[in-house]
Amino acid sequence: MNYTLQFGQVTEFLPYLAGGAWLSLQIAFLAFCGGMVIGAFGAMAKTFGGRVVRGITAAYITFFMNTPQLVQIFFIYFALPDAGILLSSYEAVLIGMTLNAGAYLTEIQRAGFQSVHRNEMEAAETLGMSLLQRVRYVIMPHIAKVLFPPLSNQYILMTLGTSMAAIFGVEELTGRAFNINAETFRSIEVFSITAVFYIALTLVASMSLGLAGRYLFRAKMRLI
Amino acid sequence: MLERIFSEAPDFFTYYNIIFLLEAMLATFLLSAVGCVIGFGSGFFLAVTRKTTSLAYLPARMVAFVFIEIFRRTPFLVTLMMVFFIFQIANVNISLFTVALISVCFIATAFISEIVRGGFDSVHQTQWDAAATLNMTLFQTLRYVIVPQAWKIILPPVFSFFILFIKDTALASQIGVVELTYAGKVLNNKGFSAALVFGSILVLYFALSYPLARFGVWMEEKLAPARNR
Repeated sequence: MNYTLQFGQVTEFLPYLAGGAWLSLQIAFLAFCGGMVIGAFGAMAKTFGGRVVRGITAAYITFFMNTPQLVQIFFIYFALPDAGILLSSYEAVLIGMTLNAGAYLTEIQRAGFQSVHRNEMEAAETLGMSLLQRVRYVIMPHIAKVLFPPLSNQYILMTLGTSMAAIFGVEELTGRAFNINAETFRSIEVFSITAVFYIALTLVASMSLGLAGRYLFRAKMRLI
Repeated sequence: MLERIFSEAPDFFTYYNIIFLLEAMLATFLLSAVGCVIGFGSGFFLAVTRKTTSLAYLPARMVAFVFIEIFRRTPFLVTLMMVFFIFQIANVNISLFTVALISVCFIATAFISEIVRGGFDSVHQTQWDAAATLNMTLFQTLRYVIVPQAWKIILPPVFSFFILFIKDTALASQIGVVELTYAGKVLNNKGFSAALVFGSILVLYFALSYPLARFGVWMEEKLAPARNR
């Protein structure tokens, strides 16, 4: 195997790749926020809803959890135009990722809701706390502590998941790596630098989230 | 959209297409199953390596740590491309399926190693101390004290990782491995409408993943009450 690694040509593209990393972060963040909103409604529907509402939410969750995200986005991007819904690749990826995240985040948030014990609510009521006080001092700290670690874990998995957007031609980190690869043919160098970018992105995310979780919510979290 | 699906359906569900799809489904399953079995073996080994304490094993611990961190934090697509291009440049003649399988093994090793380590850590520290007091070696401690207690905690998340990876192997279609998603792309290129093709692909993935997921939930419930802490 005679191959000399040549990073010189690729390093010229570092700012270009960094721009892609920024777009990756954007997609992950937007999809996560959208998923959190869906998840909050879904978790409430699953906990407090009637039979029909619970059934619909359960169907949504099982469907999205048991099929690949890639094929879901394929369906949104290639099949919905038949029904007259035309989406750009960026929109299709964002909608697909949001819906997928919504299913996982519903499950996580529901588990958080259920972790608040009835006794704790009753104890707070006995102490004469108002509803606002109960939410502020009993429910929120409890839910935050239980929810924060799995949520940050999900966020990091989603950051990695954004690489899927490259397949649809969105120019985020992996998409730009494909472009550079097509231009320079320095495949190994390009993809190893891309990997380093992803490692840096997720390391920063998990360290800052870990610190936040430890000191703001008293959650037990590892920093790496 | 619906009329088109109904008019194409008889041409789509022919004998050869169905065989093609089922074979692709088998490839998807094997890719994830074989990858996770190998990944479990090597991941377990790495987790044990990280449990060693002597100074002589420090380099091995460092290598295990770096390996795990790299592959846990790199997207599957990027790993796949790396492995694919490395084999291409090395001029080794192996099938695309093997390339995808090797990438799955890397990722599975990293993730399962963390799961196993979590399982080891879930056994109370007093148990480790007691084993150390009895002058057991690390191997004996794991064999007689830790693993008999930890396997119930390790197994359910490993199984759900395996189910998760059935879906993630869809990305292997990008390097041309003939699995379920690739089969969908082939049929779509043959002219069947995307709604019909990818709709059926979604249903097939669901048929593969849902029973396994139910089995996973059942297993978790079965093992949970027996935990003694």
